[in-house]
Amino acid sequence: MSVFDGLKFRKVYSPIHNLDPRMKFIYVIIIFAVAIIFNTIIPLLTLFLMQVPFVMLARVQKQWLRSLRGAMFLASFIFFINIATNFFTQGYTLNAKNIEDAATMTTRFLVLVESFSVFFLTTSPDHLGLALEQTKVPYEFSFAFTTAVRFVPVLAEEAQTIMDAQKARGLELEKGNFLKRIRNYVPVLIPLIVSAIRRSLELAEAMEARAWGATKKRTNLYALKFNKGDYVLLALTTGVLIVAVYTVLYVPVPTIRALLGVP
Amino acid sequence: MPIIETKNLSYTYPSASRPSIQDISIKVEKGEFVLITGPSGCGKTTLCRTFNGLIPHFYQGELKGEITVAGKNAAKQPTMEMAKHVGMVFQNPENQLFALSVEKDVAFGLENLGFDRKEMRERVNWALKLTGIYDLRERSPHEMSGGQQQRVAIAAVLAMQPEIIVLDEPTSFLDPLSAEKIFEVIYDLNQKLGLTVVLVEHRLDLTAKYANHIIIMDEGKICFDGKPREVLSKQETRLIGVGIPKATLLYEMLKKEGAKLGNTTPLCSKELADMVQEALK
Ligand SMILES: Nc1ncnc2c1ncn2[C@@H]1O[C@H](COP(=O)(O)OP(=O)(O)OP(=O)(O)O)[C@@H](O)[C@H]1O
Ligand SMILES: [Mg+2]
Repeated sequence: MSVFDGLKFRKVYSPIHNLDPRMKFIYVIIIFAVAIIFNTIIPLLTLFLMQVPFVMLARVQKQWLRSLRGAMFLASFIFFINIATNFFTQGYTLNAKNIEDAATMTTRFLVLVESFSVFFLTTSPDHLGLALEQTKVPYEFSFAFTTAVRFVPVLAEEAQTIMDAQKARGLELEKGNFLKRIRNYVPVLIPLIVSAIRRSLELAEAMEARAWGATKKRTNLYALKFNKGDYVLLALTTGVLIVAVYTVLYVPVPTIRALLGVP
Repeated sequence: MPIIETKNLSYTYPSASRPSIQDISIKVEKGEFVLITGPSGCGKTTLCRTFNGLIPHFYQGELKGEITVAGKNAAKQPTMEMAKHVGMVFQNPENQLFALSVEKDVAFGLENLGFDRKEMRERVNWALKLTGIYDLRERSPHEMSGGQQQRVAIAAVLAMQPEIIVLDEPTSFLDPLSAEKIFEVIYDLNQKLGLTVVLVEHRLDLTAKYANHIIIMDEGKICFDGKPREVLSKQETRLIGVGIPKATLLYEMLKKEGAKLGNTTPLCSKELADMVQEALK
């Protein structure tokens, strides 16, 4: 479960949570774009730090730190792979440039993780489903999405119950080699799948009974609207994009190694 | 004209070899509180599914006979059409709520019917208040108790303002006290709004007092159909697996012992207590 912790939504109310999810999505896309057009570490670090006030404003520091910590493994992997490839392809030397390049790649990755987790930590699944609906994605998809979110905890609980029940009957999940262990899970999976199918039939029945598909033009209890905050964010992200494009084109950004005077 | 009328209704599930309901002919009048009971597997759920067209549309299989619900031929109309007239509350509260917030769930049917936002909001609030869950409207259904979830399911159906509400063992996952509260909500709706209620329930102890029409089924057929006091005082009902209210049984025993009690069969302990008190005066 802890793997998903960084992506789990908790009900908090903050100026960031109240933003239109579509706007937050635009923000993620722009951060992505900017992170990709820069090849030097200083702008990427700036980009990373720039988002921190955002996290503070949303009051999700704890979860945000946790998701960064979760990304650390992958980040160090990226770092070392980069160093290693540079090392092997560029004549078996390890120099400051190699290290800085690897650090740049890693920072870029962290920027992406950061903006993604800000998005998911501050956007309720409900909002997300609504955004999908109101961007002309067929309702079936957004319904499937919210239903999946709704039933994940239910199924997790059920899996736990089945596991306990099978263990009580003498099933040993943690025994044997890798393949054997996978096979051990069959007696858990089969009841889980059967009950999931039964559940989905009951759901379908209940949906039918509540006029699912009665009109082509389905309406919605909630409406998404661009508010003041959304326009502020729009202005900010556009500003960042313009500055970024300008910098890439006209401003030579020094590398850290140049600043320090290392070759 | 009865609001539900079936004539010689029989139905066989596609995978079954014999019919699950046979030759069912019943009439339910507008505003009645009907209790359907009978042993497990006697076809109560199957019968309910015919009221809004889930049978035959969702379940396929072979439906014979006639069925008219709210003036419509329920065997011909699609379920989404019948859903405007018949609200259905199922046994498992968990599997009939799909949204991530209570009010969104209550709005689900109205959204499907294409209501505009203002009227939808009014109806949602109205249904939430009637069922006493207005304060929970922003909660997520899966972090609520079974009783609260079942209220959400009832509110969701009410918001569509059907003429009939069918509840198939709505409280079998609940403790007796929560169950009692749910029944009171339902009875209130029946009294205040004149809503026709069809309730499938085993625990007659809790529910017989609300009903003014009771149908007892066994092996896919109707065995008894009439007023609760008359039906429940019949000795033949004792042979079917029906949970006759304890007050009714006790009354019979006392009567047999020669106690001087009145002649109306009591359906709940309070009625019996009143009778005993009367006799002791
Ligand atoms: N989906 C189905 N497919 C095939 N047969 C079914 C199906 N649902 C029910 N049956 C069969 O139809 C008969 C009547 O079942 P039904 O569920 O209507 O009984 P019930 O009176 O509601 O019982 P309970 O009190 O246990 O809910 C049973 O013999 C059952 O096995
Ligand atoms: Mg049943």
